[in-house]
Amino acid sequence: MNKRFDFSALMQSKVTWAVIAEVLILLVCFAIRPDFFSISYQPSTGMLYGSLIDIVNRSAEITIISMGMTLVIALGGTDLSVGALVAVSGAIALKFLRWDVLTYTTPGDYTVYPYFLVLIVPLVVCALMGLFNGFLVAKGGIQPIIATLILMVCGRGVAQILTDGKQFTTGYSPFRVIGQGSFLYLPMPIIITIIVVVAVALFTRKTAFGAFVESVGVNASASRLSGIKAGTVILIVFMITGLLSGISGLIYSSRIMSNDSNNAGLNFEMDAILAVVIGGTNMAGGKFSLAGTVVGSLIIRTIVTFVYYFGIVSEATMAFKALIIAVVIVLQSEPVREYFARRARRREALAGGDAR
Amino acid sequence: MNILEMKGITIQFPGVKALDNVNFSLRAGEIHSLLGENGAGKSTLIKCLTGVNNMDAGKILLEGQEIRPSSPREAIELGISTVFQEVNLCPNLSVAENIFVGRQPMKRGQIDWNAINTRAAELMSRFHLDIDVTRPLSFYSTAIQQMTSIARAVDIQAKILILDEPTSSLDENEVQLLFEVMRDLKANGMGIIFITHFLDQIYAVSDRMTILRNGHLVGTYSIDELSKVELVTKMVGKDMDVIFNLKRADVAPDAPVMLKAEHIGDAEHIRDISLTLKKGELIGFAGLLGSGRTETAEMLFGADRIVRGEIQLDGAKLSLTQPFDAIQARIAFCPEDRKRDGIIGDLSIRENIMLAVQSRKGFMSPMTRQEQTDLANKYIALLGIATPDCEKKAGELSGGNQQKVILARWMAAEPKVLILDEPTRGIDIGAKAEIQRLMLEMCGFGVSVIFISSELDEIIRCSNRIIIMRDREKVAEVEGVSCTQQDILKIIAEGAA
Repeated sequence: MNKRFDFSALMQSKVTWAVIAEVLILLVCFAIRPDFFSISYQPSTGMLYGSLIDIVNRSAEITIISMGMTLVIALGGTDLSVGALVAVSGAIALKFLRWDVLTYTTPGDYTVYPYFLVLIVPLVVCALMGLFNGFLVAKGGIQPIIATLILMVCGRGVAQILTDGKQFTTGYSPFRVIGQGSFLYLPMPIIITIIVVVAVALFTRKTAFGAFVESVGVNASASRLSGIKAGTVILIVFMITGLLSGISGLIYSSRIMSNDSNNAGLNFEMDAILAVVIGGTNMAGGKFSLAGTVVGSLIIRTIVTFVYYFGIVSEATMAFKALIIAVVIVLQSEPVREYFARRARRREALAGGDAR
Repeated sequence: MNILEMKGITIQFPGVKALDNVNFSLRAGEIHSLLGENGAGKSTLIKCLTGVNNMDAGKILLEGQEIRPSSPREAIELGISTVFQEVNLCPNLSVAENIFVGRQPMKRGQIDWNAINTRAAELMSRFHLDIDVTRPLSFYSTAIQQMTSIARAVDIQAKILILDEPTSSLDENEVQLLFEVMRDLKANGMGIIFITHFLDQIYAVSDRMTILRNGHLVGTYSIDELSKVELVTKMVGKDMDVIFNLKRADVAPDAPVMLKAEHIGDAEHIRDISLTLKKGELIGFAGLLGSGRTETAEMLFGADRIVRGEIQLDGAKLSLTQPFDAIQARIAFCPEDRKRDGIIGDLSIRENIMLAVQSRKGFMSPMTRQEQTDLANKYIALLGIATPDCEKKAGELSGGNQQKVILARWMAAEPKVLILDEPTRGIDIGAKAEIQRLMLEMCGFGVSVIFISSELDEIIRCSNRIIIMRDREKVAEVEGVSCTQQDILKIIAEGAA
């Protein structure tokens, strides 16, 4: 029971470095603007406000998607279609809210089809599209990056067709709650994110599913010969990712109360992959860390917020983001972690010597 | 003259001394066998010479000059080439590209493909191999792949060639071919370090041998100085009789039939095969590589699709479409290629062991962490897996211990039928005997075992009955007690009597 705190193992963990990076970025923010950490309560909306709340709130879409992406990457694949599915999800929701724009010409606080259809149909369609990805990978033996490229390219087209290339807007207030409402003083997207993260964590770690995913990711052939139905595992993982993209799409379109087939979820696949990688899950597959992914997603959003907050010209946002991510990734690289772990071991050895 | 001299090599790993003051010398034009059980320090010594591991003490002299290679690349530049047990080449590149990768001859700023292909063909013909060197490496057998890595070593004019278990996946003819090449290189003054677990091969080809045990040097002997029995005794540190005191499984004549296959066949390899396996019986499969042994085993496990015939387990008809079905029916299969189909390297020993049990239960009824740990620790103790704890990555274990982990995975699944495909390949003699002992113990508990091996002596020693395969057909079935190695070889060579 008396297990010693293993400092060198901690220094070798990629998650540790992700947390350190996040804290450093936040400290820089704090140094520049001491009110960066302040959180205030707005009685009129019943919500807490502040930069930190905003970072978590705005990271919701990526965090939710990257929960699925973590599993896909743990299998040794990638899912490029998630951004397009965000657009599909929003398009379907708006389609059901404003079914026939010629009849319902002005947006307002109404929905044409029952609200549950507005929510359920996008999620079901996205889950099916995820299943389609999974089918290509599991049964067709197609590399995930290629298989998901199909929906990445045609997903936005599907969204365009569904809405006749138009951008619908809506004023339906229950729909507004998803992206702009609050619960327990917190913005609704944060609540949804927490539910999703907990659900995925329970599903993977309280059942043996996570172990099966890791096993298939490390060695698919050996896993199959150990009785794991690798195909089923792949199908489930891609379906989960599709479903989560759908949830993310609902949040996104509720924030803007509109569908935007061109820009909704744009580059989300890249952000999600980055979040997973920063979180310490290896692109080659195998062991995955959901907690690390959450931190990774927060880092990405913190950088963006930082850029907005300090008025760095928006043209420079991408370059700035890339710069910080490059630093984080280098800090996490094998030689650097090895170096710090060695130093930590040496220090521990010295400390041990003193004690004696 | 000594081309290589290693003096007082000491390597400290966390918690253990992997090598303790080991001396080793190699003459030019000599084949020198390096021997020891798994974990004795052979690999560590080689890794130290090839710049993978750093020494904590000692020095290496190459042709009298002190060297200290710090990376495999540096070692290669110094003229030390290694051919590993698992072929370390790019299967999707051609044979010629593999030989010249990283140092392609150039002509006018472009790669000179003609030169590459002609020189590669010349090299391979030196090894009496007349093959198309522009074909991808994966097109050829493991033997040819191995020759390719040797050809690479020869072409960079290595002074020292290290062959780490090169023969473990070769058949008899291929081994002879390799030996010819080795003698040829030796005649040209190359020093060859040869690591193998096959005692016969050591005596067939080496000049001297050095034995390690638990990181210590036991001694260096010339080949006619030690008999096989003395050699094994020195390697293991115990008496040989104790190890080989194995008793064949005791099967009552009226034991019930456990597994019955009638005229089964698959789509491409096997036409028609039948066998019966009694409860607690051990059947050996003998035959050359590619004779259909593995395919038959895979059919019985649902890994290879059966298109004809019928399998009965315990009297009930069994339909197998995937390994999952076989595991549900409590048939277990230890595959031939440990690295590709067996061990899941990045996962812990615990996860590797619990996998088959868990997949039988399905992922919705997970074992708790405590149950997994208990299960793993039970088998670590039972099989004597050498590891500090069950959380170590399985990929970091030695070959014999990995094999034991896979065996543990299947023992934990409590099978009725256990199929073992070359379970003792590439592992040392002590571990080999232990795996044979475990196999026979399982029979004692009423498990029926199918044992596939290329080594006839172990097949004969363990089997109740032996099925002999040739050209993807069963050609004979003989009693284990009454047959000799000669009988089986004759049937393999000439077909059924």
